[in-house]
Amino acid sequence: MIHPLILISVFVVCTVLGYFIIRNVPSLLHTPLMSGMNALSGVTIVGAIGATGLAFLAGSGPLAQIVGGLAIALAAVNVFGGFGVTHRMLMMFNKKKK
Amino acid sequence: MSVIQIVISAILALLVLAGISMMSKVKTAVAGNLLSAFAMLAGVVATLLFTGVVSVWTIYVAILIGALVGSLMATRVQMIQMPQTVALFNGLGGGASALVGILSALGIGFSAEQQLAIAANGYAPFVRFTALLAVAVGMVTLVGSLVAAGKLHRILPQKPLIWKGHSLCTLFFLVLTLGFVIAGLFVRGGAMTVCLVGTLVAASLFGLWFSVRVGGADMPITISLLNSLSGVAGSIAGMAISDVFLVAVGGIVGASGLLLTQIMCRAMNRKLMSILVGGKGKPAPKQPQIPVKENEELVKRVMDLEKKIKELEAMVADLEARVKTLDGQIAGAAAAQPAADAKPTAASVLSAAKDVIIVPGYGMALAQAQHQVRQLADKLESRGARVRYAIHPVAGRMPGHMNVLLAEADVDYEKLYEMEAINDDFKKVDAVVVIGANDVLNPAARNAEGTPIYGMPVLNVDEAPEVIVCNYDLKPGYAGVENPLYTREKGVYLELGDAKETLMRLIAGIA
Repeated sequence: MIHPLILISVFVVCTVLGYFIIRNVPSLLHTPLMSGMNALSGVTIVGAIGATGLAFLAGSGPLAQIVGGLAIALAAVNVFGGFGVTHRMLMMFNKKKK
Repeated sequence: MSVIQIVISAILALLVLAGISMMSKVKTAVAGNLLSAFAMLAGVVATLLFTGVVSVWTIYVAILIGALVGSLMATRVQMIQMPQTVALFNGLGGGASALVGILSALGIGFSAEQQLAIAANGYAPFVRFTALLAVAVGMVTLVGSLVAAGKLHRILPQKPLIWKGHSLCTLFFLVLTLGFVIAGLFVRGGAMTVCLVGTLVAASLFGLWFSVRVGGADMPITISLLNSLSGVAGSIAGMAISDVFLVAVGGIVGASGLLLTQIMCRAMNRKLMSILVGGKGKPAPKQPQIPVKENEELVKRVMDLEKKIKELEAMVADLEARVKTLDGQIAGAAAAQPAADAKPTAASVLSAAKDVIIVPGYGMALAQAQHQVRQLADKLESRGARVRYAIHPVAGRMPGHMNVLLAEADVDYEKLYEMEAINDDFKKVDAVVVIGANDVLNPAARNAEGTPIYGMPVLNVDEAPEVIVCNYDLKPGYAGVENPLYTREKGVYLELGDAKETLMRLIAGIA
């Protein structure tokens, strides 16, 4: 386990970084950007996989597998759908560049 | 968690950051999105390896199901349904974080060493607290997003719903949620289950109460805020299970989502708080200051009006001259169109226009008329006219909604102008074509106090000499405020009906 203070500081640092990195986005890209970040919020799949896997190995029973599996599936819908939709949108912006 | 794992997590988080920053420029956006997706994939693989759960088959089944559903939705969904799709995906992500939080709150999903470490270092309160917080934020995201998606998909009423004692209930549920989460710091065993269930219920109710009141032009902002929240939920869940990558990426998404929300709020002249708790665009609570400001504003407005009257007189003279030349043209074309009378029509105005601004709105999305809009622009351009598009920051149901649709119709994005860049040009152009837009150009926003759109910056379409409105009907828009522009006596041409058809008529009518 990592010390809570380290976790919190990682959170703070990333928050600041994230804040500065998209300061000057043209509103043209707000939708794809929002949808891209939406896909990224599916990153919780990582946590879901870890927790479900460990619960399986520890033999925590079928209920944990159902809850965990549901978490993984929902997050996967978020990730795959999110990146897919974002890609589709961005391709539309780019096709006339050729 | 080994050092290697932390280093890899940091590298992947940096990749995600790089991906997001690449997405803020059109040229590199596609690559940025792919980079973020790759970083995510690498994160999943790293988790499988480092946690030692590669052999657990249930994981792959769940991923497969989710991937199938997600990919199908991503390829099938129409561009017009994008806002509710994003909202739905977002909610699911929040729901997943809540579920992870539930597992952690029950002490499930930790390895034997992790459990020992938690007990030895006294991290248990931190784990319980963050797990419950993840459940709370996740549930708010899930319920809020589902309500938002339902409203956008027209399953739920789109108008803001206000229930009895709404603000009080909202506040109560929020406090209740926080109470359960904080209680998680101190309890154990059976009481923890009570806290968990309490958090689940209270947070869901808060999510419902807060999102059901949002309507109209505040919807895009709410979706963006929920987007940010789902990142925060993930990050907190990451704290509960001690996963650096999850904490980092969640934090990035949360912060950039919040910033995006702020940018939108600024574009609409709305305070985030007033959207969250104030509900229906009431004027700011600083009552005593308003009259003073209003006086100043009134004087300024009268002076502006006088100036405008002079401008209008000049315009009218100009128009009369133009009508005369048009009359000449129509007389010339009389053989072909004997029925044409001297009155200018939308088509004749456009035929003569050399500088046109197109204002698209949600109606264009509904009618799927972006290709016809493009055809109209092509036709005008082939006649030597300059055509630009004025995009209000919240046109449509999502910021950037119009840009996406116009991009689909191959409109060059250099012709798309943001509100500030083009708002002064409306009075200089020959004609403005409004396609399915209402609230974003409603001049009532400047003075109709107490309405949802009051104070929102609008496109100055009313300053244009000729306005052609291709709306489905004259009913008030999403915000429910009448548009005085429709009843303007001169220079407004109402082409009502399905935008696809009216546009085709216009294109055919341009001689």
